Amino acid sequence: MTAAAISKVSGRDADFGAAPIALMLLVPITIVNLIGFVLPVANLAILSVSEVRSSGAMTGGWSMAKWLLVATDPFYWELLWNSVRTSLVITALTLAVSYPIALYLHRSTGLWRNALLVMVISPLLLSAVVRTYGWIAILSDQGLVNQGLMALGASEPVRLMFNLTGVTIGLTEILMPYMIVALLAGLGRLDPRVEEAAATLGAPPWRVFVRIVLPLSLPGIALGSLLTFVLAISSFITPKLLGGGRVFLLATEVYDQAMVTLDWPLAATLSIIVLLVFGVALALYGRILRSIG
Amino acid sequence: MDERPISPILKILAAVGFLFLLAPVLIVVPLSFSGEVFMAFPPESWSLRWYAAIAENEKMLAAFLFSLKLATAVTAVNLFVAVPAAYALVRLAPRGGDAMMGFFTAPLLLPSIVLGLAMLIVFSRAGLLATPQGMFVAHLVVTLPYTLRVIATALSTLPIAVEEAAATLGASPVTVFRRVTLPMMVPGMIAAGSLSFLVSFDEVVLSLFMSGPRLSTLPVEMYNHVENRADPLVAAVSVLLVVFTLVAVVVVDRSLGLAKTFVR
Amino acid sequence: MMHQAPTDMTVAAAGPRAGQGYLSLQGLTKRYHDFLAVEAIDLDVAQGEFVALLGPSGCGKTTTLRMIAGLVPTSGGRIVVAGQDLTAVPPHKRDMGLVFQSYALFPHMTIAQNVAFGLEMRRLPRMEIAARVAEAVAMVRLEGREDRRPAQLSGGQQQRVALARALVVRPSILLFDEPLSNLDAKLREEMRSEIREIQQRLGTTALFVTHDQDEALTMSDRIVVMSHGRIEQIGRPEDLYERPATPFVARFVGRTNRFTGNAHGTTIRLGDLAVRAATQRSGPVEVMIRPHRVALAAAGCVPADGLNSVTGIVRRTTYSGDFVQYLVDADGLTFMVEEATVGHGRIAPAGTAVTLTWAPADTLVYEAAP
Repeated sequence: MTAAAISKVSGRDADFGAAPIALMLLVPITIVNLIGFVLPVANLAILSVSEVRSSGAMTGGWSMAKWLLVATDPFYWELLWNSVRTSLVITALTLAVSYPIALYLHRSTGLWRNALLVMVISPLLLSAVVRTYGWIAILSDQGLVNQGLMALGASEPVRLMFNLTGVTIGLTEILMPYMIVALLAGLGRLDPRVEEAAATLGAPPWRVFVRIVLPLSLPGIALGSLLTFVLAISSFITPKLLGGGRVFLLATEVYDQAMVTLDWPLAATLSIIVLLVFGVALALYGRILRSIG
Repeated sequence: MDERPISPILKILAAVGFLFLLAPVLIVVPLSFSGEVFMAFPPESWSLRWYAAIAENEKMLAAFLFSLKLATAVTAVNLFVAVPAAYALVRLAPRGGDAMMGFFTAPLLLPSIVLGLAMLIVFSRAGLLATPQGMFVAHLVVTLPYTLRVIATALSTLPIAVEEAAATLGASPVTVFRRVTLPMMVPGMIAAGSLSFLVSFDEVVLSLFMSGPRLSTLPVEMYNHVENRADPLVAAVSVLLVVFTLVAVVVVDRSLGLAKTFVR
Repeated sequence: MMHQAPTDMTVAAAGPRAGQGYLSLQGLTKRYHDFLAVEAIDLDVAQGEFVALLGPSGCGKTTTLRMIAGLVPTSGGRIVVAGQDLTAVPPHKRDMGLVFQSYALFPHMTIAQNVAFGLEMRRLPRMEIAARVAEAVAMVRLEGREDRRPAQLSGGQQQRVALARALVVRPSILLFDEPLSNLDAKLREEMRSEIREIQQRLGTTALFVTHDQDEALTMSDRIVVMSHGRIEQIGRPEDLYERPATPFVARFVGRTNRFTGNAHGTTIRLGDLAVRAATQRSGPVEVMIRPHRVALAAAGCVPADGLNSVTGIVRRTTYSGDFVQYLVDADGLTFMVEEATVGHGRIAPAGTAVTLTWAPADTLVYEAAP
């Protein structure tokens, strides 16, 4: 790239003392972020290691009590394991259902593609409450599936709700748009001419897929999986409503401790654990991305 | 580009996937016309009673009105904050601009349950819990990253040469911004505005943490309703929300393009 | 490294004396971190002159133009127009017109609004703006399209709007940044003469950046050849072509035969061959001979006195309409020879034994690059 091109891209060309103006324009957003984001999150981290009276007031001293509780009580270990396992299953299912959609979208063109894109993105912007409600209508004892089964002669309804099955089905669907969008972004790197080249070199369609399409879409798969896993482990609307208080996951526990038990230090500790799982997932993603090259 | 044949296997798999993806949205439509007292599918009778029930449910109506006001205010302030910030980051390209962009969009990466809890604790101490002000700040924090990113994307795809041309023709930097940059940013601002409105209007996690007995948003009210009762009222509200969302998505698509806004 | 002109003839580079030009660049420099994009350029352009900045991409020509327009801050040196130092003046106060490669029209304004923009910035009365817009639109032959949007025009029409928009403010200097490279070949040639004609009619001083040598040769009063941020040569088109000051110019402008050899006085040994030049030199040299300066005759023809003469065999003949290009193997060297096609058209096929002749003055000799 020529120097002129570099400067055009950076836009720094017009820089006749623009830095102070830039900082001025960034003041409002910085204030919002400091008050609404940095301060609360820092406070959360501090709270998890603070000494707290039974009234809830901080004494100003430090305490690892909540961390000790979480580390020694097997309930929390099981909670963590359940959450991670469920999120992994959801991630795998989401990938399996989403990949064909993303590939199909990638191959389609024009108005049809746009219509499909609207169908993918609209759920993304539709409240999780609405979509979970839809799943209740499908999965409950009086829902679509069970009424269908009864009509076919089943004697009693299959339990699809108030258990992990329902939560897994619901979350898989709810997280699909994120996966599809990530996969699409990954497939964007795939030049159709490369596939055509492979085909003209004598590769049958399935080999083109295995040798060309799949390897080239790996970064998208990695990103989509990270996103889905992270969102699955921190979701609680769907687990709450479809689990009916009978499914215990990290995120639902954070909510219950914060809003029902009102044990904020414990809620803070659990939410930091959520962040730690995030960190591990992110580190893993980084390694995978590097090994893909 | 020429049409490439798509294999029938892929077509079937994609169709099944789409059916699964859209099933919960599609089912609420017939359910909302149920004539039953309880939620059951398929309903044994049909009616508009649940749409009428929305009008009679004062809590739901109050929540809807508050959500509407909140989303409007949040969107307006969003644009006022994000447009200058995006301009500064993209056009003035200060040192460390990428890091700043990362910082400003960080609330998007934090799980909303963690952010909600964090806000709950701080806002309760400041007496902002269950107040419109507290709700407003919470929504502003989560919508700003979207707005900033969409406007920055829109701005960075505008050719800088057009602004340079205006400058060489004698327009001062302020005039360039007012007469050239801002008008060219309108599609991006419409897209960003629709998006922030929708995100605020549909936000449920933070709102749950911030709400109280006398202040809740429509999604929170729906959540509470679903948790306590199994009737088709929420289906009727949902249908209205689906229509609303579709309109906003189409507006985003028309102004900036869906692919450009979401698939980067 | 210093190159010397191949002949003792003084290059008749027209143009104002150093520092005396209407536009005067004095030691103009641009540095990006460690990279010197433009290195201490001196250039003087007379009022009404059309000067091309020619060079390969990355040679600093566009950066130079953008510094003149005020879009890139300088790292050193001065930009003076009509005796006024503009180096620190922001672009909107420089009174220049810039025509962009991408046209850079305002997409949300009509053609008339685009053209009127600069006049509005100058706070001219509404009546005068309307009159001058009409005049400018007529000049670029776009009457009747005033109310269209840029997106509704073809590429060539958009470029004419960009030209009108830059011209209508009657700028002190008209700057062109590769304005024709997005147009197809036929349109490009039309636009060349159109731009040149309007520039001459208005008597505007113009600086034209291009990487296309034909464009530079056909349009300009003078050409500035740039490479690696420095000026290689400034001269009239014919000076550049016939008397390239450096091997770079010889290679970049037009086609050329290139050999390395050893000079002893006016005789130069190229492998087994000995050729004569018009200048004295000694030591390792680089030799360039323009293909159209070499005459091709049947083998055995006795050359006129004092001409260089080489015998060889035609390896390949390429017919390209207005001239025929031969590749001739001679004593281990390959010569490219170009002959204009003439009516009776005797074209030597491959395998023909031929004699090549050229004048010693056409042997361009340069000190070999170290």
